[in-house]
Amino acid sequence: MEKKDKILSVRGLDITFRTTAGPVHAIRGVDLDLYRGETVAVVGESGSGKSVTMRAAMGILASNATVNGGTIQFSYRHADGSPETVDILKKDKKWIRRHINGKRMAMIFQDPMTSLDPTMTIGKQIVEGMIWHYKTPKNEAYQRALELLREVGITDAEKRMKNYPHQLSGGMRQRVVIATALACDPDLLICDEPTTALDVTIQAKILELIRRIQKERGISVIYITHDLGVVAKVADYIEVMYAGKIVEKGTANEIFYDPRHPYTWGLLSAMPDLDTSDERLYTIPGSPPNLLHEKPGDAFAARNPYALKIDDRLTPPMFRITDTHYAATWLLDSRAPKVEMPVELRARIDRMKKEAGQVDTGK
Amino acid sequence: MTQENKTPLLKVNGLCQYFPIDRRFTVKAVENVSFCIYPGETYGLVGESGSGKSTIGRSIIRLYQPTAGKITFNGEDISGDLTKSQKSMLRTQMQMIFQDPMASLNPRKKVGDIIAEGLDIHHMCPSREERHNRVAKMLEKVGLAPEHAERYPHQFSGGQRQRVGIARALIMDPKLVIADECISALDVSIQAQVVNLMKNIQRDTGTAYLFIAHDLSMVKYISDRIGVLHLGHLLETGTTEEIFGNPIHPYTKSLLSAIPMPNPIVEKRRVAVSYDYFTSGIDYTKGTDHLVSGTHYVKCTDDEFRKWA
Repeated sequence: MEKKDKILSVRGLDITFRTTAGPVHAIRGVDLDLYRGETVAVVGESGSGKSVTMRAAMGILASNATVNGGTIQFSYRHADGSPETVDILKKDKKWIRRHINGKRMAMIFQDPMTSLDPTMTIGKQIVEGMIWHYKTPKNEAYQRALELLREVGITDAEKRMKNYPHQLSGGMRQRVVIATALACDPDLLICDEPTTALDVTIQAKILELIRRIQKERGISVIYITHDLGVVAKVADYIEVMYAGKIVEKGTANEIFYDPRHPYTWGLLSAMPDLDTSDERLYTIPGSPPNLLHEKPGDAFAARNPYALKIDDRLTPPMFRITDTHYAATWLLDSRAPKVEMPVELRARIDRMKKEAGQVDTGK
Repeated sequence: MTQENKTPLLKVNGLCQYFPIDRRFTVKAVENVSFCIYPGETYGLVGESGSGKSTIGRSIIRLYQPTAGKITFNGEDISGDLTKSQKSMLRTQMQMIFQDPMASLNPRKKVGDIIAEGLDIHHMCPSREERHNRVAKMLEKVGLAPEHAERYPHQFSGGQRQRVGIARALIMDPKLVIADECISALDVSIQAQVVNLMKNIQRDTGTAYLFIAHDLSMVKYISDRIGVLHLGHLLETGTTEEIFGNPIHPYTKSLLSAIPMPNPIVEKRRVAVSYDYFTSGIDYTKGTDHLVSGTHYVKCTDDEFRKWA
């Protein structure tokens, strides 16, 4: 296997928002790596900072945000093939707009109705980026837009080019958004809850579409989502975020079959799978912490039934489990008492493994 | 379960709900839907957006005037014009929980007043003290503190707001609660909390739920029986085990196959079964209800039934 090409590398990202109620420390030291052609999913509850991290990478943070530290290294190739690595946080908005946004890094938002311009035909919206970034001649751009529409599975592309967003269904609109995002051949596609606003049947289609395109073009994809089913379908690597920090990271198999952080246990147990027969769902007690009031120690301690005394005083570091699997919980410290995941989750993971084994041998 | 010999709490028979757009065009949102809900059970209504599931809920609680069909609730026909006593029965015995708690709670009212609004309207609390006590008890029941009554909706988190929505519905001691996508707007961990709360309340009070949702795994978890809706037609209905264990209709099959499972190795290999009404050659209007087994019915023609079953 050839040496993997690193596309995005976030180190020690730390962001604060100024609000009328006081500073909100939304991101508290996030590290993240992404290689070419791979998919990373960032999972967490709302307010855990997953969207903010990706917005920082795109250079589209809200104006009340202050970056206190960290770097976001983004690597790409110029048109002549020479490699270049830039720190997004050091560049000004205008430069990012000109060279990164839409061109090398594209984003798909949650609600296709708000991310498309209602006053422009969809054809115009798809060619806009190509004309602006590459000065593609109109005719050529039009032809490419047609191709893109067909690629994302829209029939009678010629007719659709003249349609306005409101004339399309939700699934179609999201396909158009994907086509627009792909128009400039980006290296990195960031999907912020791409299917939350869509139905299950359409969700499956859109995810399969993104996966196919990713394979064909060899681009990297970052998913931001709270739906673990979606994550299981698409992700190679998973980063679990809680209160502005990554609390567990690893390959999809490691996170789903061998979770170590109590928060990941909670997330996995709270989602009923189709075989759940327990009378009650497991829930994570309480609600996500208010980042306005920062407390020392582990942010998850208050909701954690396995919390140790040290959790109130010291923030746990990332403990290494395997070369790819890390988790930030004191339970992994050699001095900690041995704590096993809840029995229900254990049973479910065993069931999942069995099912997966059947697929493996069945093939 | 031994529900066959009980009388249904709600009986919907041949419900149609049309919305005339202009002289030539009418949106047929719900067509010929029949089902019933027994006291104390949960009936899940699933389907994609635009399938008419919310419309059914709204027709039943009479936010709309049904075009045709008969709705019997509590032994009274509530599909036509309502008498004053029927109206007050309907408005107290049937309650609704909406999808977006922020949009459905009045931002200028204190939570205590929001919850007590039903009591005030129907003059069900003679004294101030009793009103206060009932609100406090209700807040505790849904996992909030009595002092929360003095706060405004914006001071709560999403999950807490939905609890207020539930408290407001349950304070009337309703026989039927229509929960219209009441957990879709919440986070995963909070969804589980709200669903558990709803289950507990059902156990204590014996309220029946009409649970409208598109998240099938949650519907499976909470419902006793399920109806699958597509383009206004109820395609398949039966107990949860019957629908999930033995789906007959191709639409149900595609819906079930589309649920992503939290199992990466299985999930990465799986491709969802696709289903397109317009190319499938199925005409819902021609279908009639066929009994599969027990309480499991599927809507199709005789030929289709032979082919699928």
